[in-house]
Parts: sequence; structure tokens; C-alpha cells
Amino acid sequence: MTTMSAAFLSDQAERLRASVVGIASGGRGRPAGGAAIAWTGDLFVTSAHVVTGSHATIVTPDGRAVPGDVVRRDAERDIAVVHAPGAGVPPVATANPATLRAGSLVFAVGHPFGVRDAVSVGVLQAVSPLPRGYGLNGKGSFVWIQADVRLAPGNSGGPLADAQGRVIGVAAMVVSGVALAVPVPDVERLLAGLT
Amino acid sequence: MTDDRTTIAMLSEQLADAVATAGAALVAVHARPRLPSTGVHWKDGVVVTTEGTIRREDNIEVTLPDGRRIPATLAGRDRGTDLAVLRIAPGSLPVATLGDPAALRPGHLVLALARLDEGGPRAAFGAVSATGGKWRCWKGGEIDQWLQSDLDIYPGFGGGPLVDAAGRIHGVNSGGLSRALATTIPVATVSRVTTQLLERGYVARGWIGAAMQPVQLDPTSRQRLKHEGGLLLLSVEPDAPASRAGLLIGDVIVAIDGQSVEGFDQLLDVLGAGDVVGKQLRLEVVRAGQPVSVEVVIGERPRRAR
Repeated sequence: MTTMSAAFLSDQAERLRASVVGIASGGRGRPAGGAAIAWTGDLFVTSAHVVTGSHATIVTPDGRAVPGDVVRRDAERDIAVVHAPGAGVPPVATANPATLRAGSLVFAVGHPFGVRDAVSVGVLQAVSPLPRGYGLNGKGSFVWIQADVRLAPGNSGGPLADAQGRVIGVAAMVVSGVALAVPVPDVERLLAGLT
Repeated sequence: MTDDRTTIAMLSEQLADAVATAGAALVAVHARPRLPSTGVHWKDGVVVTTEGTIRREDNIEVTLPDGRRIPATLAGRDRGTDLAVLRIAPGSLPVATLGDPAALRPGHLVLALARLDEGGPRAAFGAVSATGGKWRCWKGGEIDQWLQSDLDIYPGFGGGPLVDAAGRIHGVNSGGLSRALATTIPVATVSRVTTQLLERGYVARGWIGAAMQPVQLDPTSRQRLKHEGGLLLLSVEPDAPASRAGLLIGDVIVAIDGQSVEGFDQLLDVLGAGDVVGKQLRLEVVRAGQPVSVEVVIGERPRRAR
């Protein structure tokens, strides 16, 4: 192997941070409560529990507050789509997490405890239903991206990406210390017909 | 920039390769309610896990990498080093490729691995935090190397291996030995304890059957006897090596086999070493101010009910 670069994931992180926005329920002027991902055009993907109403305001990386509407929501799967016309945020590249093996490098971008666009790095544990014994009120039978990466409140709705910076899922929660994210195919299903 | 990205992608692939390689020798151990723990196929037909995760001694099963669930029998368990050994049918899965933990230095990239179900191996990643020599853990066992890592030991990861970036297994991770950092029981300790557990089902530890406390000698005795202090006998169990040797309450042990004794460490090192049961020790004792020499035959520490 060639010498490990000191740059590590910084290029990929910089590129991804440009596509992550802050988001809060309701009209303009509210502080960012969670994160959202510029998916395509003016569509943003986030966690359903971050946008509880029918309107949401996104805050772009350059600090503009742009009002939007929640156009799709799957509360059970905990993902939602927000349409914010004129936001002009570059969209992310995506990849199916099923192509990654356990141990592959992953990283998250979000706003843990309000820190804007914080990066945390770890590895993939599994893309599967949760192991029996990891309780999640019946939602354990969904396929989850399970990762050894640090998430905190404020990471919700933000991206989990592979070593090439491609988004593989939407950060949702932490169960038994394990970071859980909704896999890209489930996001694509929710987006069907919109793009 | 492109080179950097290629390097990172290669590192990611290398880590996934390491997980796949080491994961081929891992089983899920079903010996407790709800969540299984992880076991390492240490040698053919022999699986090692942590003692603390074995909650039942019968009806134990393991899940193999191919998803099959097969029966396992408990060969033995050692609370002192937090290790347990299971026997399974030989040839069930590949045997672990072991590394040399002495080659690990703080900052080395490492992974903690687990197998929890019929899915693939699971991984957590971090770095070696601290290394060092022999130590005695709070459960009483002697661990050959100090090996701690900045890794999260998730539920079910106990009993799983510490793996380097090449997929070599450097020991077994214990969730029970320390709280702050992940502690690994190194290869040498696992192999030593496994051999003993396979031979007789438990680890025999030296014992003399006396309670003691470190003390300093008074200034006159210090000068006269050329010893600073020793271990004061507070109680002597009946029908134990110490009582058979004629040791008395109030005796102060000042030397073992010619080596001065200042505290418990020297005695515990002697009693904790392998194969000491039956060995004779020459103790120098101060009794009523006078030096006395006493021969003690090391006994085997009684195995108390758990």
C-alpha cells in the first residue's frame, strides 16, 4: 500500500459538507434542529422526526434561510422529503450500502449538539435488520445501516457516506450505542415520482 | 487529490478484507438470554469467549459463519482472566490466524470484531491506546500484556477478537476487565489459559491459606535483620499449606526464596505463575523478633462456588 495520506477523508468531507443543510420545522427564522441532504434539484431528504409539520426552513451552507414544504413523509421509516425552491445547493452522489462490506470506512456529517457540519468517522458494521436483543420497539425488522460512528442529537437527517464521499444512508438514531441510518434504496422509494 | 482518494478507498477495502479474513474464524455463542456473545475458533474444535458471557453451562450452541447452528460443550471457565473455552465439532470453520500483540504500538489501527447472528461479522474501529507488560486484573488473573484500545465494545462484542489491519487476531476483547477503554486479553494469555482449561476444566492457582497485611519492621529489627518490612500474618486457615508448615498469626514474612518481600506483589507473582502447585518455597520469617526459616509447599487455591 502507498503511504497513508494525511488528507484522510478531508476532500470527501468538504465536498459532502457543501450539500448538507440545517433544517427546522415551520417557518423562517428558527435555528437549525437537524440536518438535511441536498438530494436532487430543490429536493432535500431528512428524518421525519426532524420535520414534524408540513413546512420546514432549510439553512444553506452559505447561511441563507429558504422556506420549503414537506412533500413526502414516512414516519415509520423516519424519512421525509422537503421541497425548497431556489435553494441552489449542489446535490450529493449516492451509493447502495449493500455493496459495502463490514469494516468499510464510513463518515457522517451533521450538526451534533448544534455544531455545524461536524464530521465523524468510523466503519460499517452491517446492513441488515437489527440483531435480536438490540431493542427498537418492533422497528428492528427494518433493514438498517449499522455503523461504528459517533452520532448525537443534531445528526438526525444528515448523511452517512462511504470512503468516496457517496451518501449511503440518512442518519436516524443510536440504539445500544450503534449508529443507525436509513439505506439509500428506501430513500429512493420515498422519492419515486418526484424526481 | 485523486491519489489521496484512491489511498483512502484502498484503506477502506483493506479494513473490509481484514474483517472478512478474521470474521471467517468467528462464531456467535448462545449461552445467555437474548443477545449472543462472540467466540473465536482458536484451534480446531476449540472456541474461546469471555467467561462473563457464559450464563448457562448446558445447551450451549454456536452459529457458524455459514449460518448453521451447532451444539457446543463447555470445556472450562476461568473467572480470573475472564476466559471460557468451548468444544465444537472439528473442521466446522477456519482456525484463527494469530498475530503477535508485542508488535502493536499505540496509534496502530485496530478493529474489534463480533458475530451476533446469521449475518456477517461486525466491526468497530479505532486505535491501540496503550501497551505494556504483565498485569493482574481485578478479577485476579495474570494477563501477560497490557493492551488497551480506543474502541467501542458494543453489546455482543465481548469475546470477539482484536484484529489488526491485516486481519491477524491479537487477543480476545473483554467488556468486563475495565470500563474506560477496551481491554484485550492477549494471545499468550488466551493460549495458556485455553491449554489449562482443556486439560482440567479450570486454572489451578497457587495458595498458602493465610491472610496478611504489609507492615514495616521497627527500626531495631530493620537494622538487625537487614529487612525493611514484610507481610504480617493475620489469620491462618486450618489444614492449609501455611498451617501445615507451622506458620503462626503474628509472623512477618520478610523474604521468599531469598528475595526480600515488601508487599503483596512478590508473593502474588510467585503464586500466580503457571505450574506452581506442589512447589516448595523457603520463607524467611520474623517471629517474636527472631528470624526463623520455614518451608511451605504451595497448595492449590480452593475453587469456591460461583
